[in-house]
Amino acid sequence: MNHQIRLGKHGCQLRLALFTTFLVASLATVCLADLPSGESLSVEGTGASKASGVSELAISDETGDSINPLVRLMAQSQPKIVKIYGAGGMRGLESYQTGFLVSNEGHVATSWSTVLDSTKIRIVLADGHKANAELVGMDPQTEIAVLKMEEPAASFFTLDENALPSIGDRVFGFSNLFGIATGDEPVSVQRGVVMAIAPLSAKRGRMKTLYQGRILVLDVMTNNPGATGGAIIDLDGRLVGMLGKELRDDQTNIWLNYALPMDVVSGSIRRILEGKTATDLRSDKLVPAKRPHRFSSLGFNLLPDVLAKTPPFVDQVAPTSIAARSGLQVNDLILLVNDSRIDSRRSFEELLATIDRADNFSLLVQRGQDLVKIEIRP
Amino acid sequence: MIRVKGKSALTAAMLLAFYATSVVRQKANICFGDDRPLITLPQPSSSVLKAESARIQAVAKASRSTVGVFGTDGQGGGSGVIISEDGYVLTNYHVSDPFGNRMRIGLSNGQMHEAVIVGIDPTGDLALLKMEGRTDFPAATIIDSDTVRVGQWCFASGNPFVLATNLQPTTTWGIVSGVHRYQYPSGTILEYTDCIQTDAAINPGNSGGPLYNWEGNLIGINGRGSFEKRGRVNVGVGYAISINQAMLFLWHLKSGRIVDHATLGFTVSSDDKGRVIVSNILESSDAYRRGLRYGDEIISLNNRDVRSVNQLKNMLGIFPSWTRLAIRFKTAESTVDTYTRLGALHTAAELDEIITGKPLDGPPVPDRNPPKKDLPEEKSPADDPLPVEPKDDDSKSDKSAERVDPLKDLYEARKGFGNYYFNRKEVDRVTSVRDGVWQPVFKWPKNVKWVWSGSVAGESTSFEFSSGGKSLSLSLGDAKTMIDPVRGWASSIESKALVGPALALELWQKWNSIGPRAMGECTYIGRAPVIGIDEWQDLCQVTTGEVEAYFYTSPETLRVVLLEVQADSRQDRLEVYFDNYQSTAVQGLGGDARELVLPVIPTRLRSSYGPETPMVIDLQQLVVSEEKEPE
Repeated sequence: MNHQIRLGKHGCQLRLALFTTFLVASLATVCLADLPSGESLSVEGTGASKASGVSELAISDETGDSINPLVRLMAQSQPKIVKIYGAGGMRGLESYQTGFLVSNEGHVATSWSTVLDSTKIRIVLADGHKANAELVGMDPQTEIAVLKMEEPAASFFTLDENALPSIGDRVFGFSNLFGIATGDEPVSVQRGVVMAIAPLSAKRGRMKTLYQGRILVLDVMTNNPGATGGAIIDLDGRLVGMLGKELRDDQTNIWLNYALPMDVVSGSIRRILEGKTATDLRSDKLVPAKRPHRFSSLGFNLLPDVLAKTPPFVDQVAPTSIAARSGLQVNDLILLVNDSRIDSRRSFEELLATIDRADNFSLLVQRGQDLVKIEIRP
Repeated sequence: MIRVKGKSALTAAMLLAFYATSVVRQKANICFGDDRPLITLPQPSSSVLKAESARIQAVAKASRSTVGVFGTDGQGGGSGVIISEDGYVLTNYHVSDPFGNRMRIGLSNGQMHEAVIVGIDPTGDLALLKMEGRTDFPAATIIDSDTVRVGQWCFASGNPFVLATNLQPTTTWGIVSGVHRYQYPSGTILEYTDCIQTDAAINPGNSGGPLYNWEGNLIGINGRGSFEKRGRVNVGVGYAISINQAMLFLWHLKSGRIVDHATLGFTVSSDDKGRVIVSNILESSDAYRRGLRYGDEIISLNNRDVRSVNQLKNMLGIFPSWTRLAIRFKTAESTVDTYTRLGALHTAAELDEIITGKPLDGPPVPDRNPPKKDLPEEKSPADDPLPVEPKDDDSKSDKSAERVDPLKDLYEARKGFGNYYFNRKEVDRVTSVRDGVWQPVFKWPKNVKWVWSGSVAGESTSFEFSSGGKSLSLSLGDAKTMIDPVRGWASSIESKALVGPALALELWQKWNSIGPRAMGECTYIGRAPVIGIDEWQDLCQVTTGEVEAYFYTSPETLRVVLLEVQADSRQDRLEVYFDNYQSTAVQGLGGDARELVLPVIPTRLRSSYGPETPMVIDLQQLVVSEEKEPE
């Protein structure tokens, strides 16, 4: 089993990892033929690699003891999970997702998405308590965002970078998938097994995602609408991952169910809290460049500035221009410039004015339901 | 998730697997110098094996109660569960609906039984079926589904994709993902309230089948999943109607009616403080008569705190109409504790349209074919019939059953009913006291004069009611009132007249002497709660004269415990409770062998209009005398 984890670490692609899973499964079948009884296969349940203590945990539930450890585990974890409501609710975009508390001050880790693109983000705790939250920052590399509630949190997950499950481990996913839990209902819980740990092989036209690092591949349909940002815990109640976005392979129509592992999640959260990633709107004084970029030389323009906060939608892209060559398209919504968040045409112009026209800069744009990173090279 | 492109990849994988096996085996040999297995899997602990063995037993036990539901031609297919040894089967309405009145039910032992529809609940998506011929059908063990908790293991049992041609149910294992879930109607009236959410795979064909807890006890009826854009297969979210809800509807379904869900007669919304506030109320509703008004806060219903709008919908959705629940609400002045009658969610015409109208949309479909796009309820007539005819010797009775249809007389069509036959059956049961329990030795005379005498409790006012054929008279103290046996009842009730106890006694006598069928149109409704009694009571509606009479009788003693009389549905009913039944010597009946058995009669009446402040009457004597036939 460990051998396979090492394969994952060596960086084989997802497809190979899945293939390996298949291979190991085949191996297991071969081995089991040697075992005296087919019934001794405990693939369901706790996973073969787990210590017996953990097995006890899962088992005493099934014997119907009055204090059910799994029920207790769910009840202990639920107060750490939050439902997040924000922008969306039209054109097939959900206006809700999931997050979890990571500090006693009320920090919430979740997935960066259009849901958070709202001036008013509402958090609903497991007991139905409601609170407003603000975006602290987001990490464009992992698409993880951190919010902060207006009030402290009574219960939260401890972040452990080393909390990496083994392949075959029993895990539980907590999320408000399909928005099933409303009002004061706790979110839904699903049980699954970590199938593989491997880099996400995301290619244009197949699986559109920015993040291409290591993921936990799950054997259960966790990544449904509204589930993104949800928590994956193990049998000890440790947080071992954050549910990723809905991801479908365009060629096979297969949906991938996956979570970001804790080294990635806690790394992002730390960088966000340290201010090393995209922060909310720049409040510091911007130093104008002597010869800044101009729309005309880049070859694109945004919607006319008619509102207090006109959304920075790309209105025109001149053919064969720098913008066109870089891949910018009409109707792209610009979210980040050099990892700094902008919220209007005006804040985009202010930021653009600080970049020398000889310098490259990066944009993160939303195109339909996808986030696309674009490097503008003059 | 396993991405395998065609056969070549599969072959390659197998080859690699064998290659890897041989390499590891060699290594293992070198390392250990013996012939140990190539990968040492940890030996499962005894508790793992014990749990597995318990699970196998639970699945084996539960599978016996799981059935497949098919058309009479063996086509189509959904699932169901046996809930009583005499052969009642629960399934989804959307499973039974395409099959009409008759279907075939496949037991896990491979036997097919004919079944007939009993009652249906189109709103709650339940249908009750009946098999005949055995008194030892393997019924599921039913437990209180309110004890189900998130995280408990559970499993669905049924016939997904109609895979099981040998009728052995498919088991899918999972956990309880959520409880007390509310699912909005999906383009139909079908509403799942207070349901159990599970990640055990629920697929088309699982519909109507049981959800069991880890011990194999019945906790729900599977019927719906969240599918949306991923096609009509399991996406890790399935819903089961709680078995508690099904049990609350059970006797309504046994009535053979098209049963209906309930409405409170008002709507609510949440205010900014999270309180649940009445946003609209019908003046004709019972809640309005109990004093509830626009803007009042709902505190609790059925003694459960109301914290959200959805939660109130959840609480309400599990009850059939005809139910009366405790309610606590807060007005500007005070907190009110009272009871409210739930109204019917639909009119009879609406229900009729539902069942005769267009097919339902949404839930998993019993369909042997791969799911078709947007055609959820199409039956597929071109399918192969199921090869499930029993071939062993035990099946002789079944084959003879094929020739002589045992269910031939068990169906009777009638508007508003799934099967009127079963309504007759339940009326017979409820009234069997007249020819079953004590009538053989004691027969209530038909042409007699009855005189009840007593007094109003706590007062010196005397009470005397005499009833004899053409004239009824009530004396309360010095005031004497003549009552017409038929006419004027509606206006008496509308004016909340004091003659209430007399009217009730007259109806009680008729129920116990000539019986409800001789009184007018009698329909068995089901079981409904009666204030002050834990167990739900049998309820019959009798249309007699100008009024509707509702008789609540004890399922055990078959005694009338409550009688409600309604003149106008927009007004409070007369309600009279019959308390303190006692064996009493009735004057006028003595003199022969019948004296040995004393009739059991009520000795106290509590009479009121609406639930408040009853007039209590202690009955001290009943005198029965022969009524002379008028010339």
